[in-house]
Amino acid sequence: MNQADVTKLVSKLRIKVPDQHRRLRSPKGPEGRLDKLRKTVTGLIKFERIELNHHRADEARQYAERLISEAILHGDCHKPTMEIADYWLLEKELLHKLFKVLVPRFENSNTAFTKMYKAPKASSGRNIDKAILELRGNPYPLLTNKHSNNRYLLQNVLLDAAKYEYRQAKYAEMADKIGKNEEISQPKSDDVAKSKPINEV
Amino acid sequence: MISRVHQLKKILNNVEKNVLQIFGFPPRELAMAYTLEKRLPQPKKFTIKDIVGDGILLAVPKFRRTVEKRLKRKFGSPDYVWKMLIPKTNIIVCNSCGHYHERGYICGHCYKKVEAETKEIQDKIQEKLGNLKPIENDVIVLYNGENLPEQPKEFWQGKRIIEMKKDRPQWFSKNLLQKSTQQPSESKDVKPTDLA
Ligand SMILES: [Zn+2]
Repeated sequence: MNQADVTKLVSKLRIKVPDQHRRLRSPKGPEGRLDKLRKTVTGLIKFERIELNHHRADEARQYAERLISEAILHGDCHKPTMEIADYWLLEKELLHKLFKVLVPRFENSNTAFTKMYKAPKASSGRNIDKAILELRGNPYPLLTNKHSNNRYLLQNVLLDAAKYEYRQAKYAEMADKIGKNEEISQPKSDDVAKSKPINEV
Repeated sequence: MISRVHQLKKILNNVEKNVLQIFGFPPRELAMAYTLEKRLPQPKKFTIKDIVGDGILLAVPKFRRTVEKRLKRKFGSPDYVWKMLIPKTNIIVCNSCGHYHERGYICGHCYKKVEAETKEIQDKIQEKLGNLKPIENDVIVLYNGENLPEQPKEFWQGKRIIEMKKDRPQWFSKNLLQKSTQQPSESKDVKPTDLA
């Protein structure tokens, strides 16, 4: 049982990776495809939030994730990792950012390092799927507002009121029923019949 | 000999003809009548220009299109391109601004604001910190009248602080920079939060 722990040797991406890569056609062939992706990864690390075509964003996202996870796994003293980073980051000042800013930021995270949203479709023009790709923990305003749990959200206020009313109606109905039953069985004990529904409400 | 006689006879004939013709007698012998021939117009070679003249010629269909093809052109094919108008069932209302957007997509109205603000911050960062310098620290964005969150001094060592010269947009929640627990306030007014 001298096998090494494989999970520690290979960085496991926390995003869904498709079986086949996209071709991202380019006159230069596969090399051109990588050039495109390098540009995108560089832009992502530099600006932390970019908007681009969906296919390219999704493809570049995998490389960016891999790059960051390699950097976290091996650190900046590992030669192959440094070479990978040198290849993927076209602007060399970003090498420092990768190892000194992004690695501490994502070291202890247990989610993916990037986030991708579908951008709203343009009402006119080419109907191409756009995506917004961003690094987590960026300083920009949030793209999605998750206040569906906010108590003061108008919809929630209305829903609460509706629920409350429905419950009140149900209780009143139940109280009526109980009152009637008791009247039939024990017509004399009026005070008991009245007090019970009040307690329940 | 005979030719001489013949010649003489010919001369006499000529004299008779010419002299007697002055008096219009006897009538001339029958002869082939010659009339100036009028030439008939030759049938010209037919060219398309005769019809078109100065105008232009449009291409016209040669054959009738089949019903199937006509219908396909009109309505498309449900398997490929369906040209009929179909109601979309994936439109929902944005929780924060109330505009409509497709499910699974970001609300366009909200995104416009966020995009503009993001662009502004990005420009500011580029302008202030510039290129070609190794980037070694994270960026913190502060708006007008905002202070650094309470943290030990070492935490802020070398952090790059970007000051936006304007107030924080109301929709840009400050939650990230606030303490997680707030002191319970005395007032009983309910403050609307996170409104668009
Ligand atoms: Zn919205």
